[in-house]
Amino acid sequence: MSVNKFLPYVYILPEDDADRQIANGFVLDSLVNLRAVQVLPPPGGWRKVRDEFEQIHCGLMSGNPNQHIVLLVDFDDQTVDRMKQMRAFIPKSLADRVFVIGVESEPERLKVAIGTSYEQIGQDLARECRGTTRDKWSHFLLKHNSAELDRMTPILKPILFPTS
Amino acid sequence: MIRRLYVHNFRCLENFELLIADMPSSLLIGKNGSGKSTVGSALEVLQSLARGTNRVSQLVRPADFPRGRSGAPLRFEIEADIGDKVFEYVLALELPEGFKELRVREERLSVAGKLIFSRESSQVQFANARREAAANFLVDWHLAALPVIQAQSPTDPLNTFKAWLANMLILAPIPYLITGESEGETLFPDRQVKNFGEWFSGLLALAPAAYTQIDKYLKGVMPDFKEFKNPFSGTDFRSLTIQFQQEGASLTLPLSGLSDGEKCFFVCAAVLAANQASGPFFCFWDEPDNYLSLKEVGHFVMTLRRSFQEQGQLLVTSHNPEAIRQFSDENTLLLYRRSHLEPTQIRPIAGLQEPIRGDLIGALIRDDIEP
Repeated sequence: MSVNKFLPYVYILPEDDADRQIANGFVLDSLVNLRAVQVLPPPGGWRKVRDEFEQIHCGLMSGNPNQHIVLLVDFDDQTVDRMKQMRAFIPKSLADRVFVIGVESEPERLKVAIGTSYEQIGQDLARECRGTTRDKWSHFLLKHNSAELDRMTPILKPILFPTS
Repeated sequence: MIRRLYVHNFRCLENFELLIADMPSSLLIGKNGSGKSTVGSALEVLQSLARGTNRVSQLVRPADFPRGRSGAPLRFEIEADIGDKVFEYVLALELPEGFKELRVREERLSVAGKLIFSRESSQVQFANARREAAANFLVDWHLAALPVIQAQSPTDPLNTFKAWLANMLILAPIPYLITGESEGETLFPDRQVKNFGEWFSGLLALAPAAYTQIDKYLKGVMPDFKEFKNPFSGTDFRSLTIQFQQEGASLTLPLSGLSDGEKCFFVCAAVLAANQASGPFFCFWDEPDNYLSLKEVGHFVMTLRRSFQEQGQLLVTSHNPEAIRQFSDENTLLLYRRSHLEPTQIRPIAGLQEPIRGDLIGALIRDDIEP
């Protein structure tokens, strides 16, 4: 079986191929519970992520309290506006199971700035998610995620890293 | 871990160089006929040598020369990190005019730059244990020397290299041929995994702790899986049976009674357990997504990747979008061939001359991707 839908699980919906590769690196972390996470195919653009969430996942999540979703989008240097645009489509009843994170501009810039592959970035972020430090997450292209990280850590960490 | 595989004049592989140093897992993609499975066949030639096949005619045939071009040698070179040393093995074969069988033209093994043995035609030059003086002897030029040279101790680098090469897993399982019945034990599964029963028995005999890992993996993919048994039925004959249980009811089936995809779960479990219990191994798996339901593909491939991330090295091929999406630009290699008259080219997706428009899957569907 893929994710076990009878237990809490997390879908990661990446905006594009670069975000998908970061997500791949995240789940490559040896302590991520593979049976509790699935990286979905990238729809190709933040609007399409929003549309897919609204048209497919809203209904599914209402029917299954075990589903959580991380919308991995590029903020295109419009952090506040983009978050508002995404949040506007998230029903209040699902708000504590939907999370929006991503690179402040776009992953290509993060990759150049950090100087490693997307997968390695994802692995480093996963390691910090299960630990206590946030060095990579404090990068200037990622630090705007801190509030969302604070919100998601207590909910998703036990699902993704049950042994940590 | 393989750093480099170089193949020349073998089927569609001409001046072909696979560079996968520091890549715990990587993916070969490309159209049908682009040469992905042939990479496995080239590796299988080397594996067969280490598993004891020394007759050149049992390794390659004249038909393996591309388009009958037997004028140039057929060449295999492999460079690998084993332990903390770099091993390099070269085998060049030729088919002189009028010959029906290929013969050895050149063969060489070196470790950390130091020669273990070298050979030209039938003349073999072999260094002694202290690598000081050389001994010379002749070997029939239709036989490769690697399988027949006796290692001087268990820690002899020759032994280390042969064991590593022989333990490579080169897999393209055909579930129909997997029965779970066995008359002996082996640690060497064949490419189609027809000898799964023997391999499974050998693995558990070598490392009984592998049972726990296999059990854990199978319970993850088949929630009603309870246990497997591999009892003797007769003097030397074993038959693998699987018990399922749900809400007090149970069902026992022979392995042959499982679906094709479920048999692949067993192969995967054995690969994971083998790599952990007696690895690190190199594993080439031709289209591991075959026979699996779409929802299983991603986890199946990612589970393999994760295991080989810790130790060993995985090289897979695939046409399946979900399998391809489990890899990334830096570990996805495109194999490309303009026609059957031209050789295979290889290029990492991250190094394509023309960047991909949109996502990789879309580009593959549109046939809009060239090296």
